[in-house]
Amino acid sequence: MDIISQLQEQVNTIAGLAFNTFGTLQRDAPPVRLSPNYPEPPANPSSAAEDAASLAEQPKLMSAALVKAAKQFDLLVAALPLAEGGEESQLKRIAELQAENDAVGQELQKQLEAAENELKQVQELFRQATDNCLNLKKPD
Amino acid sequence: MATATYPPPPPFYRLYKKYSEDSKSAPEPPPPIEGNYQLFGATYTTDDVLPSLEEQGVRQLYPKGPNVDFKKELRALNRELQLHILELADILIERPSQYARRVEDISLIFKNLHHLLNSLRPHQARATLIHILELQIQRRKQAVEDIKRRREEAQRLLKEALGTLDGQ
Repeated sequence: MDIISQLQEQVNTIAGLAFNTFGTLQRDAPPVRLSPNYPEPPANPSSAAEDAASLAEQPKLMSAALVKAAKQFDLLVAALPLAEGGEESQLKRIAELQAENDAVGQELQKQLEAAENELKQVQELFRQATDNCLNLKKPD
Repeated sequence: MATATYPPPPPFYRLYKKYSEDSKSAPEPPPPIEGNYQLFGATYTTDDVLPSLEEQGVRQLYPKGPNVDFKKELRALNRELQLHILELADILIERPSQYARRVEDISLIFKNLHHLLNSLRPHQARATLIHILELQIQRRKQAVEDIKRRREEAQRLLKEALGTLDGQ
């Protein structure tokens, strides 16, 4: 894929990681304690351990992925082949190349015509030679 | 028996009856359209240009001007984006009801990023054209060299053959 499409894909990836991060954290977050008067909900011991572990790991993993994606974006930006000069220098170069292309095209055309002429001459000579050969050969 | 439901050919084919003998007796093809045109009820324009951000009602975050330094602006926008994501996380912890403004800011940054990348496409097109022209010039030069070589080879062979014939 070309570099600009890769950059666009990377931007979309960062966006996807961002909203997945927030969505997952919001979905899996334990409820907030509103007041000391309300009792804590009864904690289920079997699921509490693994939930707590993954709840601590998830933000780390997801934010690491986000930062990695951002670094990748910076790498891609550094790889952009943007020659300084802007639009005018590119247009000038295109005009130069077109002129050169035309000149080389003319030369090619000339060479081609000359070569075709020589081919015709050689074919004519060959025809004459074979005709003479046939005429001189005695039928037996 | 199925009845034919395909549309008939356009009626002006009759005008081209004598086209093989007299190419001037039939009408010319219509000239290319300029400006806007209608196709299947939708209006299309022949002038394909990327609409600027103001035309889409989006604030432009990177400085306007004739030559934008794309790499610098892209990197700056990337950093802004990361900072805004962190801000959103903080706001959600402290004042969760005020997420809307932050989310708007983040989407603004994304729109600017995409607009910058899209405005790189004409540059890419011109660079591709330059590359293609260079390749074509190289190929043509190669072809000229080849033809020259073959012609010289043919001349040499003919001289040799003439020499052989004369020697006999």
